[in-house]
Parts: sequence; structure tokens; C-alpha cells
Amino acid sequence: MSLAEPAALPVTTSASPRLHILKRFTTGFKASLPAYLLLLPSLVFLALFTYGAMGRVFVDALYQRATPRAPVRFVGLDNIAAVLADSAFTGAVVNNLVYAVGTAVPSIALALLFALALSRTNAVTSALRAALFLPVLIPMVAASALFLFIFLPNVGLLDYYIGGLLPVLPNWLGDSDIALYAIMIITIWKNAGYYMLFFLAGLQAVPEDVMEAAHLDGAGPYQRLRHIILPELKPTFLFVTVIATLNAVTQVDHVFVMTKGGPSNATNLVLFYIYQQAVEHYDIGKASAATLLTLAALMSLTALSFRTMANREGGR
Amino acid sequence: MLFSRRLMLGLATAGTLAGALAFPALAEGPTEIDLFFPVPVDGKLARDMGTLIKEFNEGHPNIKATAVYTGSYDDTLIKTRASIKAGKPPAAVIMSANFLLDMQIENELTNLDSLIAADGTTKEQFLGQFFPALQGNAVINRSVYGVPFHNSTPLLYINADQAKEAGLDPNKPPQTWAELTDWAKKLTKREGDKVTRWGIAIPCAYDYCGWMMETLTMTNGGRYYNEEFGGEVYYDTPSMLGALTWWSDLVTKHKVHPPGATPGPAVSTSFISGNAAMMMLSTGSLTYVRDNAKFAYKVAFIPRNVRNAVPIGGASLIVPAGQEADKQKAAWTLIKWMTSPEKSGWWSRATGYFAPNMAAYKTPDMVDFLNKNPDAKTAVEQLDVAKPWFATYKTVPVRKTLEDEVMLVLNGKKQPKEALVAAQKAADETLKPYNAETSLKLP
Repeated sequence: MSLAEPAALPVTTSASPRLHILKRFTTGFKASLPAYLLLLPSLVFLALFTYGAMGRVFVDALYQRATPRAPVRFVGLDNIAAVLADSAFTGAVVNNLVYAVGTAVPSIALALLFALALSRTNAVTSALRAALFLPVLIPMVAASALFLFIFLPNVGLLDYYIGGLLPVLPNWLGDSDIALYAIMIITIWKNAGYYMLFFLAGLQAVPEDVMEAAHLDGAGPYQRLRHIILPELKPTFLFVTVIATLNAVTQVDHVFVMTKGGPSNATNLVLFYIYQQAVEHYDIGKASAATLLTLAALMSLTALSFRTMANREGGR
Repeated sequence: MLFSRRLMLGLATAGTLAGALAFPALAEGPTEIDLFFPVPVDGKLARDMGTLIKEFNEGHPNIKATAVYTGSYDDTLIKTRASIKAGKPPAAVIMSANFLLDMQIENELTNLDSLIAADGTTKEQFLGQFFPALQGNAVINRSVYGVPFHNSTPLLYINADQAKEAGLDPNKPPQTWAELTDWAKKLTKREGDKVTRWGIAIPCAYDYCGWMMETLTMTNGGRYYNEEFGGEVYYDTPSMLGALTWWSDLVTKHKVHPPGATPGPAVSTSFISGNAAMMMLSTGSLTYVRDNAKFAYKVAFIPRNVRNAVPIGGASLIVPAGQEADKQKAAWTLIKWMTSPEKSGWWSRATGYFAPNMAAYKTPDMVDFLNKNPDAKTAVEQLDVAKPWFATYKTVPVRKTLEDEVMLVLNGKKQPKEALVAAQKAADETLKPYNAETSLKLP
């Protein structure tokens, strides 16, 4: 919608419909030119650093070299086929699914719990909110370095405190059965406070009069939660779920710092797999193909969730 | 014409900026070069590097070198490759010694032969300055591609207090695998099923794990890879099977080694805190242990099963491909200066790595230092039996195929034999394109 459209609406009826449209378009464009010009700088940067890079990935995904010194040649979808056939990639996808579900569900549950407990504002809840939000302020890399010490076998903080209770001290990050869960704990610790913010905001939007009415009608706390608060929070849930899923795919700093995907690929996630292909294997074609697959999955997931959200909003 | 004035202003600013940027290039001044350097051990090295480069610039008014910190060894490789691709390679890089072959295969290195010849020396004379063990990773197809800068070998570290307490003589450290196993058993402390002190810890994380496997395989008489050709590794061999089985036995049979994969820093922390009585770790950690151990410690050669042999580690100075001639020359001046006996020795004392230049050990400062810290001597003495670090086409992925399998064995999920067969198969697959172009390209 152009800014000046109503004023520029031509009233002449003698011109042909085609000219009419064209004229309408040009006047519309002329009127909104300043807006486009104002948007131009960001468009340039988006093109340079976002769309340009995406286009490059798309092109790179189609090329491959047969032997180290051979020139790159067009291979079509071969790279994508190679990625799908790579057991390290499928392993990373499975890990990522476990990781996404295993981090999103507990961190959202915790976030809701925190938000409900701290929804009233007073000195105590403000302090507690700040405390729960603190992990969000610590960069993931720094947090990972801290947890590296906490998880140290035998001498780390974790073993120091709970070591006496366990029959055998586990090698938290070195045991291929445990490492992924250790990584998940950090993510939950880090993100629950962040999602709490959204739920706190969502709770502010729960209409006070409805709550009061329910209260007067004799609805208990559980009934109010089940029938008023949770339905009102639905859009927040959806939004936080999308954010949590995106985080599960895009945040791999801790994998990089703590395990490098190991031991034996037990903590390898999709984004780290892409990094390995690009950097360790020096295989840009395969890395780009894996990036495209991930992008496609993420975009369809996001589109699906937002459409559901729009439907719900619109269908009320 | 609301925007014309702003546009003009913008253009004018852009013009001035462009002029300012272009100006130094036109002006006659010192040759400006960048040196990419990683800090693989701890933060203090960055300051030491600053000191070193400042001294160089003061002594060479024609050159202005800038040291650019580029993270770990792996990060340094990424950043170097990115800058080569962007057409702006740094003039010199301190590069992990086992990445050189892969870079040479990818045409990313400058052959240093002509620079050596321009100095009026021969390759043999030039290389003769360095310990022979280091030459394997610097020379590819009889051409010099790297100059050794700081190097290491693995060592056996022993907590001498705990050894005495267990009735062992730390002045007669274990020399064979049998003796080491015996020591580890005596040094392990248990409370029921729970181990409260491990006899020995050997690191296994990506990078370190491959290096330790090479160490154990070599002391078992074997070789990790074909030193002459980057298309072969020897994973599925009796010598490596013996090495991995022994390591696995320490974990599962003797229960004197912590299970699972333990990274280097966790191993050194364990040793420092008295939780592991012995460890195998790089000489690069010697300064850290010296500064932090609150007990008497001893360092010794890596014990043998068949022979005494260890791989080298560390980094070399390289000149990336695609550099302008004058910058190449300036980089060469810097490289020669940094690897001279005095600077080499200074860097060695600051970091704990050994100095690759043999003459460094004849400088008075170094003689003094070794008298005060006799443990630093062990690393140098072990050089007599040192051999090159594994380097193949795609070194990192080829190494990772073995490491993933070794981690499975240390976690008790696979038997050594099937693990090595799987590793060999995966490595051969990765090496296939290179072999197709070299050893299997037939007339």
C-alpha cells in the first residue's frame, strides 16, 4: 500500500482501463518513492549479506569437484543426494530432533511455571525474575566454558556435589550415551529464563475482568489456569515453540566449545555437521547442500506454525 | 530534490574515505605484512607474540608486521583459507604442522625453495638448523613449504609423591607398557567399585585422540600413515590393533584408566588435582604443570612395547599462495628472524614448547634455563626418537574416522578389531578422490 494512494486516485474515466492502471501505478510509485529510497540502504545490506549469501549457497550446492585438483563442475542434485546418504548427516538430524524436543518441552514448561509463579510484580518476584533471566545474559560460549568445568569428570562441581550419591561417576561429556543430555541441560538452563519473558508478557494480556468473573463464579486456581490462562496464552505458546525450535537448530556454540560433536558423533547437530563439511572436509558443495536442506526444513516449519497462528487469530 | 543534497554529501564522504584508504598504498613506506597466529595453549601467548613482533618492527624499519590473533589451530586454517579465497592472504601464518600437506595439495602454499636459494643457501643447509624429526612435516616432494616454529612431543607425567606413597621409585619411571600397566594398577585407589584415584589418564578428544593413537601405535612398532604419500593410513594393522587393545584393556580390563573420551584440559586438571597419578600429555603442557602442580612431579619418555618412538606436534611458519613478491620477501625476513636461535629459545621458554632450532639450546639463556628446569630437557632428549606427525589428504576428516571409533572402544561399545576395520573403511573412502588422481591414475 502506498502512502499517498487515496490522494492520487485518478478520477478521469475517459482513459482506457490499461492506461488507467499504469497511470495509477506510476503516480503511486512516484508518491512512495521517498519510502523506497529510505528503504534502499537496508535493502542494499540485506542483498549483500543475506540474499546474496543465500543465492551463493544455492549455486554452490550444485557444484562439486571429482578429485582434489579437478575444476568444479555442475552436478545438479548430486550433493544433496550425497548429504542424504551420509550416515553422519542422518545421525545429526536424529540427534537434532532429540535435542529439539528434549530442550523445547522442558524449557517451555519451566518458563511457564516461572512466569505463573512470578506474574505479580513486587520486590521479591523482581529479584527472582532477574535471577532466572541471568543465564540469558551470559554468552553461550562463556556459559559452555563454565559448564566444561562443572562437568569435569571426578573433579568438576557436579561430581563434587552429587558424586557421593552415584555408584559410578559418569564421564558426562565423554560418554556417548550421556553427552547429548549434558548438552541439553545447558540449553534448558540458558533458555528457560528467556521464554519466561514471553509468558510474563502473555500473562499481562489475560483480561482482568474475565479472571474476576471466573473468580466470582467460584472457579478454583486450577480451573482458571486450565480454562482461561492457558487458552489465552496459546499464541505465546506457538511463538515460543517456533523460537525454541529455531534455537535448537541455530545455536551450536556449546557443541563447538564442549564436545565438537563427539564422542563418536553423539552430540553432532545439523549446523555443526555443516561446519564440519565446510571446514574440516573443505567440501563447500556438500556443506551448501546440507544448508539448503536445513533452510528448507526450517522455513516450512516456520511457515506452517505462523499459518496456524494466523488461522487461529483470524478464525476467532 | 529533497535527496540530492544528501546524496551529494554522501558521495563526497565516500570519496574522501576511498581517498584516505587508497593513500597509504600509493605512499612510499614500510612494507606492511600480516602474521596470523593461533594460541593453542593459553592467553598469555598473545601478549608474548605482541612483544616479539614489536621487537621485530623496531629492528626492521622497512617492514611493518602486524600480528593477527586467529584463535585455535583449526580456526587459523579456516581464516587463512577464507582470506586466500578473498584474494587477500596474510603474508605469513603459524600453521599446525600437519595441515601443510593438505594445503599443498589444495595449492594454498608458497614453495619456499626460491626464497632459500635467493639467500645463497642450499635447502640442506637451511633445514640443517632444525631437529631432523621436524623436517618430515615441513618438506613435501623435496620442496620446503614450512619452517618449524614451535614443536612438542607427548610425555609421560608422573605424580612423584603418589608414586613414592605406593612404593614406586619415581626416579626409575616405567619404560615399557608392562611396567606402566603395573604402575597404573598400584597407583589406582578404589572404594568398593568406585575409583577415587586413576592410575593413568590418556586424553581422547578430536585432534588429541589421533595424536595419542599415533603415539601408542609408534611405540608398538607401527606407523599411522604413509610418510611419503598422503593417500594411505594404516588403521587396520596389528601394531594399531595392539595399541588400541592395550588402551582399551587399561579401561575395561584393568580399570585403571577413566572410561570414555576425556579431553586434554580435563586430563591435566585431573592430574593437577591428584585425581590421576599419571598422564600422557604434550610437552606444551609442561609450563602449565610446572606452575600449577602442588606436588613433586616427574616427566619421562612414553613407555614402549616394541620400540621408543613418538610423533611430533606443534606448528610451522608458512607463506600462503598468491602473495605479492615484496610482501613475500618481507614475510621471509620475519620468518627467518622468528626462527633464529635467540628468538626460538625465547619463545620456547615463554611457552613450554621446545625450540626447533638446534642452536637455540647452545644460547647462554637456554643453558641457564635448562639447568634450572631439568624437566624441559626430557622433551628435547626424546626428539632423538621422534618422527613426523600424520598428515594426509584431508587430514582432519581422515583422523576423525579413527577417533570416532576409538571413542566407541573407550566407551565399551565396540571391540578394537571391528572398530579399526570400520575406521580403515571410512578413511579409505575419504582418501579415494586423492588416490584416483595419484596412485590409481594409470597410463
